[in-house]
Amino acid sequence: MNKVQLAEFLESALKRHTQAPPANEAAVERVLKRLSGPLPRQKRPLWRLPGVLLDWQFAPAWPRVAALACCAALGFVIGIAGVDRRFDRGGSPFAAVSSTDIGSIVFEPEPLTGARP
Amino acid sequence: MDDSDEALMARIARGDERAFRALAGRHLPVMLGLARRILGNAADAEEVAQEAMLRVWTHAPRWQPLAQFRTWLTRVVVNLCLDRKRRASWVALEVAGEIVDPALGASEKAEHDERERLVAAAIGELPERQRAAIVLTYGDGMSNAQVAEVLDTSVSAVETLLMRGKQNLRRALERVIDEDA
Repeated sequence: MNKVQLAEFLESALKRHTQAPPANEAAVERVLKRLSGPLPRQKRPLWRLPGVLLDWQFAPAWPRVAALACCAALGFVIGIAGVDRRFDRGGSPFAAVSSTDIGSIVFEPEPLTGARP
Repeated sequence: MDDSDEALMARIARGDERAFRALAGRHLPVMLGLARRILGNAADAEEVAQEAMLRVWTHAPRWQPLAQFRTWLTRVVVNLCLDRKRRASWVALEVAGEIVDPALGASEKAEHDERERLVAAAIGELPERQRAAIVLTYGDGMSNAQVAEVLDTSVSAVETLLMRGKQNLRRALERVIDEDA
């Protein structure tokens, strides 16, 4: 076999030996079966995080919304009714006493007679 | 429904397991064959094909359709084959299906078979990148540019790989022929 014949033989042999073998159905089935189990977690890029958040469904939880509205309404009523107002302010009967200057109720003797109250 | 590779990959990126299994069923036979030809070992080829398909699943959300899916998957399989630390023992592909000239005599047939066995063994002895380049070029009929994309190298580097691979094969065959002569 000379050089040219060897080169030709090599070209044809390479084509024969590197050709795709007929599909091995059993091997394919085996691999597919192994892949049918639970799959690993997918790797998600960080730049997709905003998109992932936007994909979430923020469905309103109506009972919680109702509870929040009730609390808001109760706060409004309390604010209007003034239940939280201090008892020593405004029209309370204790207000006059409590707001009086302590110094004004010191019992001192009468300057002329020396009588004491 | 669009069932192109790219459409399936988009569905896989959203976690669609059915799309993944459809894509795996479509490409697994070819990828198994490719891994088998590069590694020369059926068991390792199955492991590589399985690993490659799992990478398709895990990397699907990050996959960008910059190249054809088939090219990308081929690249994954070839890289996995080349990365195998444990060098699998080469088992020559069966010469089944090859048409032998019936006019050949017994001695000629024996000589022919011996030569085929030598070629298979010589291919098995090639460095892995040279073998991968030869398999992709001769077996899958890829152009040098496509092989360069799969092997992540330049076209000139692919040409060098092919040339050196064929030189190595020719040298091995010449040595055997000289010994016989």
